[in-house]
Amino acid sequence: MQFLLRYLPMFIDGFVMTVILTTVGLSVGFIIGVLAAIGDVYGGKVLSAIINAYVEFFRGSPLVVQLFIFYYSIPTLLNTLIDPFTAGCLVFILNSGAYQKGYIKGAIEAIGVDQMLAARSLGMTKFQAIRHVILPQALRIVIPSWTNEFCSLTKSTSVAIVITIRELTTVGYIVSAQTFRPMEVYAFVGLIYFLWIYAVVKMMDMLYKRVRIPGFIAEE
Amino acid sequence: MPEVVLEARDLWKDYGNVVALKGVSLKIREGEVKVVFGPSGSGKSTLLRCLAMLTKPTKGEVYLRGECLTAPGVDLNKARTRIGFVFQQILLFHHLTALDNVALGLRVVLKMPKEEARKKAMEALREVRMEKWADYYPAHLSGGQQQRVGIARALAMDPEVILFDEPTSSLDPELTGEVLDTIRQLAKEGRTMLIATHEMLFAREAADEMMFIDNGKILEVGPPEQFFTNPKTERARRFMARLLEKRGR
Repeated sequence: MQFLLRYLPMFIDGFVMTVILTTVGLSVGFIIGVLAAIGDVYGGKVLSAIINAYVEFFRGSPLVVQLFIFYYSIPTLLNTLIDPFTAGCLVFILNSGAYQKGYIKGAIEAIGVDQMLAARSLGMTKFQAIRHVILPQALRIVIPSWTNEFCSLTKSTSVAIVITIRELTTVGYIVSAQTFRPMEVYAFVGLIYFLWIYAVVKMMDMLYKRVRIPGFIAEE
Repeated sequence: MPEVVLEARDLWKDYGNVVALKGVSLKIREGEVKVVFGPSGSGKSTLLRCLAMLTKPTKGEVYLRGECLTAPGVDLNKARTRIGFVFQQILLFHHLTALDNVALGLRVVLKMPKEEARKKAMEALREVRMEKWADYYPAHLSGGQQQRVGIARALAMDPEVILFDEPTSSLDPELTGEVLDTIRQLAKEGRTMLIATHEMLFAREAADEMMFIDNGKILEVGPPEQFFTNPKTERARRFMARLLEKRGR
């Protein structure tokens, strides 16, 4: 196992890249997810159709294909070049945004039209009601689904190997090729993913309990 | 005669092929307490929601102190701040304490500074005798307490008229009492109110006038005594008999 230490700086770089891709995808995807969910629930038919076309494209095609399209197809079409990192970020943002839209829409609908009605009865505009009544509740109950999306996206970023981004899995591939010890290398890589995801999931569980709405989740 | 606060002229409302209101007209004057009653599905809720412009009537007009709310281009949000609404299903905001439930409209809609909003909200909670529960979340209150907070939420906005949509229908008899006491108190203070309810004994003492609605139409209007002693319509007479028989048991 000693040889792994020699490659530790590389693994750390790879891990940092994995965290960056996940964080960018999740956070910008979150903004897209919230806006898309609100647009789908409260916007008109046309807006809703556009949003769903976007969502279905990213949910309905393989991630690898999406990466190829953004790295090869679109730049070729536009007669330009794109660096792998930018292409990767775009895909993870749009892909995660599509999934998060589904989760957030579900949460908004679980909060229900009646809460909207109560807010409107006080004279709130639709926007004020969404901002002060619907979202504060929807974003609390969406945390478990959102945690799921974190787990899923973290592992999905390993697919970035196909467009040569040096994230954790790519680093594992390189080290394994140089050392001919795939067994130890991939076990190590898997362990890093596992520990990272486990730590974040535990944190999200704590957050969920801390901000829960009384009466919405079973209390001990 | 006191000024008319809220008025409906020939209101119609259909949901697809179900016609919920078939030409309802009424006036609520300053300081008046009116009770509307009638069987389930008779159009009470629809009427109240149309009066608050929470749903758009298909036809007819609603006037708030002479201003037509059904005309195009009216700022309905502003109008709704002047019309209080208390829901049958209570509908408190789950994620806020009793105090914040009452203060939210003050802060967001009336743009009151935070401290001032909290003070005003506390006053409203005091009025319904819920000040001790200010920091409780809705889930930790009884149904009757929740509804009193719901009333405080409407009161805090200083509405010119308050509409109650069967405020005690979701409560058991014991909890019903405390909510009716609260509404009685408001009646004594001279608040202008329209109350949809089946609580006939409450209506008898609190209402200036009662309206019987069935199948989307107001069939009979008169002082409470008229309904208790000698309803003019056969339909109202039968319905009253049912209600009173149920109470007597």
